Amino acid sequence: MNGQRRSRNGLRQQGGGARRLAGRWWAAGGRRRLAPLFLRIGPVALCLCSVLLISLMAILYLSQLGQAVTTNQQIQDLRNQQVELQRENNDLVNTISQEQSPAYIADRARRMGLVPANPQGVQVIVVQGTQGNREQP
Amino acid sequence: MNPALQRARKRQMVIFLLVCSGMVLLLGRLYYWQVLQSHGGYNLAQQASEEHTQNITLYAPRGIIYDSQGRVLATNVVRDDVYVEPHQFSIDHPVNPQDDLDHLLQALRQVLPQLSEERLRADFATDAGAIRIAVRIDPAQSQALERLRLPDVFLYPRTWRVYPGGTLAAQILGYVMQSDTTSQGMYGVEGQYNQLLAGQPGSSTVETDLQGNPLTVGINTQQQPVNGADITLTIDSDVEYMVESYLAQAVQDLQAQSGAVVVLNAKTGAVVALAGYPTFDPNRYGQYYNQTGCLHTEQVYFNPALYCAYEPGSTMKAVTMAAALDQGLITPDTTLEDHGCITYSDAPEVCNWQDTPYNTETMTQVLIHSANVGASYVAHDILGVNRYYPYLERFGFGQTVGIDGPEMAGYYRQPCGHGWSPCSKDWSMSDLTRQAFGQSILATPLQMAQAYEAIANGGVMMQPYLVAAITKDGHVTTTQPTVKRRVISQQAALLLTGMLRQAAVLGFAQLAQVPGYSVAAKTGTATTQGISADQTEASVAGFIPASNPQFVILVKLDRPQKHIYGSTAAAPLWGAIAQQLVWDYGVPPDLQQ
Repeated sequence: MNGQRRSRNGLRQQGGGARRLAGRWWAAGGRRRLAPLFLRIGPVALCLCSVLLISLMAILYLSQLGQAVTTNQQIQDLRNQQVELQRENNDLVNTISQEQSPAYIADRARRMGLVPANPQGVQVIVVQGTQGNREQP
Repeated sequence: MNPALQRARKRQMVIFLLVCSGMVLLLGRLYYWQVLQSHGGYNLAQQASEEHTQNITLYAPRGIIYDSQGRVLATNVVRDDVYVEPHQFSIDHPVNPQDDLDHLLQALRQVLPQLSEERLRADFATDAGAIRIAVRIDPAQSQALERLRLPDVFLYPRTWRVYPGGTLAAQILGYVMQSDTTSQGMYGVEGQYNQLLAGQPGSSTVETDLQGNPLTVGINTQQQPVNGADITLTIDSDVEYMVESYLAQAVQDLQAQSGAVVVLNAKTGAVVALAGYPTFDPNRYGQYYNQTGCLHTEQVYFNPALYCAYEPGSTMKAVTMAAALDQGLITPDTTLEDHGCITYSDAPEVCNWQDTPYNTETMTQVLIHSANVGASYVAHDILGVNRYYPYLERFGFGQTVGIDGPEMAGYYRQPCGHGWSPCSKDWSMSDLTRQAFGQSILATPLQMAQAYEAIANGGVMMQPYLVAAITKDGHVTTTQPTVKRRVISQQAALLLTGMLRQAAVLGFAQLAQVPGYSVAAKTGTATTQGISADQTEASVAGFIPASNPQFVILVKLDRPQKHIYGSTAAAPLWGAIAQQLVWDYGVPPDLQQ
């Protein structure tokens, strides 16, 4: 009853349009209208709408989740690929370094039949005013 | 009320009560698991969390070591270890496990033939979760195993330190001792800069899927690892290889026990090469644990140029002359009477090699003849204690050079009562007269090279250094050549260089001559008291070209048997190295043929 009184008091404070709406509400014998925005909607329709809405949200959520999982898989694949490439890169750096090492080059040169230059056979020619051509450490 | 309705109401009530009691039971059980057992007892919350979150240690790659030309001396590769899961195998194969095991072992041994079948069967007979059956397999074997997709077999990648040059610069680099989870640099640059090279591992906590793959959603905290710093050395791989090869050949040809060579840049003090023999391969360091170098006094992992102190012998005469020249007490033409031996009232007699008398000889001739009498005369009669020992200190004897890596300080005795530290109560004038020609003093090859570098560089000693640059997080810190101190005056250095040139041309270092280039060098042949006189340490120290010194070279051979003197054993090696150096670096010749 207090609630009714509060409502009536409240209606009195509002304009005439609001009073008419409140009148209709009472005229409906207290039947509760759950639909917002004054749409006439029955309980079955409401259920169906709710189910549809929930389904839509579920589909959206699942599709988002599916995308996240797919992206996650792609990221994992890329990470694995990165690790594999880094590993290959390390191996290549090692191979290049081995083949650039003086011992390897000397060995290959020997196998190709090259022999070290004989220092005795080198003729040194002194040219005045020349400078060294290689930077020293 | 209608009796039928009443019965229906009762049935409804019974059902309602049953449902309520069921709910109460469920709530009670829920409370038990969710509240009482969640943090105590089974610790379910933690177990659930552990089920789908993973803590991963992110290892920082160890820094790479380069030579001065940017070539890699030490790097990392990833290799797989192979594990089997006996417990999981027994679960996966409840029926006919023996047949399945036979197939599995056959497949495994096709790829890894080195595995023993008995050992593998013994491993699978256990109930262990995982057993490692092979370490560091080849990449081809890894690929083959991945293709086979064998059940209950997995590969675990691990990073390994590798040295592409094999034995190249091994005693400079050191090695990395690796366990399953840690790596520790030992000896050399790896040991000295271990913390810098190793970096700092990071960690990552991630939510994972059923296969253990990290998920992009959910908990994901990550502390990135700090990569190890890259180090660039002053060493030139080509020169280092040449020096190591020549040294190894000389040690073998002369049947010496060991040897060491130091090459310094005469202007900057940068180490161009630092070789020792015997040496080791850091890729297989474990195989050398019982091998020794430096006259069998140290393990082969130590760098003999830094750690193998010896009596320098006659190469020390240049230091004695430097002290007297710098104080203006002698000139190259100052003379003395050399009768082959010299007697002192306060010290034992000192004699030349084979007591050879040179009669009236100049100071330059003292170096040419490598006369012990002349050197001890300068130290005892001209310099004396007060004017000699400060120069030993200035030249850096008895102190570590301060290069990177473990290093010996050397030792010499000096008298007490002069404020010098450390002093020895056992010191006598005999120490002074013998130190003048390189006995009764211990110096490392690097110390001797440093002393000659000061002479070559106009009397200014540069700080020898091995690390040219350190690159960390993209920032490069470059080592700048640093003046250590002025040791002697420029004039004294010039005069001494002239004397050493004469000593090289006319004295015992003639085999160290390089066509087209002037050489300033002094030989040394040291014997050790208590052992046979033919067990020597032959050495040569000097620089090239003498007119504009570019390189300081010190060569030392321990106990050579075929030739025992510095002039015949070490000088040819010195000359060969010097010749190759000036050619490699395009140093213009300074002598008309």
